[in-house]
Amino acid sequence: MRETLYSIRNLTVDYHTRLGNLRAVDNVSLDIQRGEILGLVGESGCGKSTLGKALLRMIQDPGEISNGELWFNGLGRNWYDGSNLMDLSDAQMREVRGKSISMIFQDPMTSLNPVQKIVDHLTETIQTHEPTVSNKAARARANELVVRLGIRDERINDYPHQLSGGMRQRVMIALALSLNSDLIIADEATTSLDVIVEAQFLDILRNLCVEFDLTILLITHNIGIVAQMANRVAVMYAGRLAELGEVHDVFKRTLHPYADGLLKAVPNILMDEDELYKMEGSPPNLIAPPPGCRFHPRCPRVMEICSQRVPPLVEQGEQHYTACWLYEDSLESEEVAAS
Amino acid sequence: MSTGLRRYVVVRLLLTIPMLLILVTLVFFVLRIIPGDPALAVLREGASEEQLQSFRVATGLDQPLHVQYLEFLGGLLRLDFGESMTRNVPVIDEIKTFFPATVELALAAMMVTTTVGILFGVYAAHHRKKASDYGIRISSIILYSIPIFWLGLMLQMIVGAKFGWLPVSGRLSAGNTPEETITGLYTIDAILTLNWDLFVDAVRHLILPAVTLGLVLAGIFIRLTRANMLGVLEQDYITAGRARGLRERVLVYKHGLRNAAIPIVTLLGLQVALLLAGAILTETTFSWPGLGRLVVDRIYDRDFTTLQGSIIFFALIVALVSLLVDVLYGFLDPRIRY
Amino acid sequence: MSTTSEAYPGDANPTEYTPLIDQNIGIMRRFFRGRKWYGTEWYITVFGGFILVAVLLTTVLAPVLAPHDPNSFIGAPFTPPGGGLLAVIARQGESPIGPSDSIDGQSIGTTRNSNGATWTKELGIGRQRYNEEEETIAALQNGEVDLILVEERQVEELLASNPDFEVIQEGLGRRYIAGTDNLGRDIESRLIWGARTILGVAVISALFSSLIGIPLGLTSAFIGGKLDKGLSLAMDSIYSFPGLLLAVALAAMLGPSVVNVTIAISVVYIPTFYRVTRGQVLSIRENMYVEAARSLGAKRSAILFRYISPNVIPSVVVVFSLNIADAILTAAGLSFIGLGLPPDIPDWGYDLNKGHSFLVAGHWWMITFPGILITLVAAGFSLLGEGLSEILNPRLVKG
Repeated sequence: MRETLYSIRNLTVDYHTRLGNLRAVDNVSLDIQRGEILGLVGESGCGKSTLGKALLRMIQDPGEISNGELWFNGLGRNWYDGSNLMDLSDAQMREVRGKSISMIFQDPMTSLNPVQKIVDHLTETIQTHEPTVSNKAARARANELVVRLGIRDERINDYPHQLSGGMRQRVMIALALSLNSDLIIADEATTSLDVIVEAQFLDILRNLCVEFDLTILLITHNIGIVAQMANRVAVMYAGRLAELGEVHDVFKRTLHPYADGLLKAVPNILMDEDELYKMEGSPPNLIAPPPGCRFHPRCPRVMEICSQRVPPLVEQGEQHYTACWLYEDSLESEEVAAS
Repeated sequence: MSTGLRRYVVVRLLLTIPMLLILVTLVFFVLRIIPGDPALAVLREGASEEQLQSFRVATGLDQPLHVQYLEFLGGLLRLDFGESMTRNVPVIDEIKTFFPATVELALAAMMVTTTVGILFGVYAAHHRKKASDYGIRISSIILYSIPIFWLGLMLQMIVGAKFGWLPVSGRLSAGNTPEETITGLYTIDAILTLNWDLFVDAVRHLILPAVTLGLVLAGIFIRLTRANMLGVLEQDYITAGRARGLRERVLVYKHGLRNAAIPIVTLLGLQVALLLAGAILTETTFSWPGLGRLVVDRIYDRDFTTLQGSIIFFALIVALVSLLVDVLYGFLDPRIRY
Repeated sequence: MSTTSEAYPGDANPTEYTPLIDQNIGIMRRFFRGRKWYGTEWYITVFGGFILVAVLLTTVLAPVLAPHDPNSFIGAPFTPPGGGLLAVIARQGESPIGPSDSIDGQSIGTTRNSNGATWTKELGIGRQRYNEEEETIAALQNGEVDLILVEERQVEELLASNPDFEVIQEGLGRRYIAGTDNLGRDIESRLIWGARTILGVAVISALFSSLIGIPLGLTSAFIGGKLDKGLSLAMDSIYSFPGLLLAVALAAMLGPSVVNVTIAISVVYIPTFYRVTRGQVLSIRENMYVEAARSLGAKRSAILFRYISPNVIPSVVVVFSLNIADAILTAAGLSFIGLGLPPDIPDWGYDLNKGHSFLVAGHWWMITFPGILITLVAAGFSLLGEGLSEILNPRLVKG
């Protein structure tokens, strides 16, 4: 088992909207292991992006992290390694961002400043975190990064709109690597790319991961990518973890009915039309979620207890967790006896 | 200039021409829809028929309308705006005399508007939904709702009459005349001739009118700046920058403002139109001898060639500034430049 | 490491779901719910609405609210605000009347063009008129008259320099809350009646502008092609032209009358309505759901009514409100230059025009009150428009 890079404990993120309090992430605990590629999947609105942002403490008004601990162990290189990031001040948190933890966003076009040259994006990031670096040295580093990612170095003086989508996304990776981050969070990084470019991007990512001993949190709704890239996968539903485990295990022996449905829903070319799987119902309203297990209104294997109590996340196999009453027979019978 | 920019400028130029044509035609016809006889309006009751007729011939009013129109257009191309109906001077000379004063006022007011507008607009955007934001927004609406001339009068009353800190009318104190007129803007001329007393006098006279006009327009400018900044601050690259550990102040004032500055520049074009309109009122209030005052005075005289000339001149300036601003925009936005 | 394996406390009971948007609540409750929903914008809009209602009421109830006829010269010129009340002064102990007697029938000294003079004239009380204040006072001193009328504000000074005078009665005549203008007209009444004028001009011109601009915008956007291009160009030309300038030109040529001023102002704002309408229609037409409707065979008119109108109407309402605010300022501006309404119609801008010349003499109240009111009403409509804009075009809640 690997070391833990980032230990998330009881994380809860709330959004205070006009309609009420929306709990986007509900008491999630998760460990990200050093050197792994962890896939975080789920439907739109399940809270995975929010979780990603929370790891950088980038949740803004009207949202806030209401509860939780973010134990960032890091690699022991920085003064904050080993501390709870929730304890850091804003100024201290700024040090962490971009340096130890980086984020790659979904849309590379809008994620780059249209009036700033590529090289300036990079040098600015470098010099913000390492003020002693000279302009010349910063530019040299920027050049090196860009070339390593397969972009011709004269393009470094271009503006974002002059680059192609794939190139821009590589620039985003370059930015993430500019300070040798320990953890890279890729938030739907390939969603806006076409399939071929996406494949190239993932290739680069995988190679870099090996070369630099990176840890990657791959947030996506595309299970195919997770299957290709990730070591472990976490399935989220309505702000909670449904299943967590090695990719191999989760795919082969899917435990949670939601994860099961998710996998079944991926069509493949050999299927017939009428074999297309459709999951019943729609994602819940997170302001007033269903009681008990949030998936129960849609679950094909729902039981009575599912609407009454929230199932805990329990280890069911070797590093394979799920939160489902189907596997908690012992507890269930206890409850029945007590009531 | 790259081809992209060149094409952009050419397109803008081509668009300006029909717009100007429409405007000029509009003014031409508007000024000829007066019910009644223009000759009578100028010469008043009691003029004999001969006088009226000779007036009509002299001013070309006896020609059929389309002939008048063509002569009018022809004259415009030669920058000949005709002659004043009540004074025997070419309109263009009158314009040349009075326009620099308006320019000086407009520039000074623009400085006030831009400074106040950007300062408060950016601040409000940065502190969105907080008390200061609402305070600034409401103040800006109230500012714009104040009638320009009323603000001028109030300032005249309080600052000028009651406290006597600043002069309330004219461009210079009585008896003070500039030695040389280079640009027509007394403040610039004074600097150029190293005449410091003149400079101070001119500036003192400029302050109240410029502040009056500038503050009222700042009301709009604050809101537009704020809206632009908000739009920019919502953009993904700001969030991405934040994720890289960049400071808030850097994000707002460097990244945000640089992106917002581009559309804000185009707002300056809008400002010029408002400035010129407001100049009429400000100049009347402060007895500032500019083109706006000329327009008002000539209205009473019914001297409508001068009126026509002045208004068209205004329109030309607005169109020209618009064009310049758009070209400037093209320069600033790398997406158009490259 | 491990993830927790105890049950989450507090989830034992199913959550109660009370919908915040209940279709069955009445208008009033919905109105107050708005405050919770929209926060400060709600207050701003309500404030603007309040101004609107207040002005409307003043307009309708002008005859009732105004103490006097705005056009009649009932007072002394240049009475300051709060002034106008009179006191009866006599020599000590020699007053022919007591504190509660009527002054009718007495021969009382007044100064020409003072409030005393106008008041006694109105009531038909016999009086002696003197040209100057000093003459009147002298007349009392030397016994020419036994009683004189002076303004209350002058009493203190008068008694100080003439200790042998005494005050017999006070509080006679009228108090002019806002003072009088240079012709002796009550400013307060002029202010109240002026509301009618300014609102009338502004609202009607806004109506004209919208009635012309909106249909033009709709047709232009819908038909497109050359008509659209040509019309847009024309409208942009007018729009880019300084509004006041155009209004000045029009008003100068048409001459001073209510109708002409209204027309002049409305022409200025036609392009605004045109642009907003056209812009909205175009952007909505581009939207997927309209395309989807068309692909399903919906008729053009149906599309227009069901999809486009509901989106256009909020914007139009906002523009209308802002337009009124602008029109008020433009109308006042025109009046100030002297191009506004004829003098027999009470108009705030006109009062400002007239008051300008007398500022030098220190008569500040002629311009202060109309100016404040113009600002207040224009700001009210602007705030209303702004608030409505935020509410009717909601921005997505982020997150």
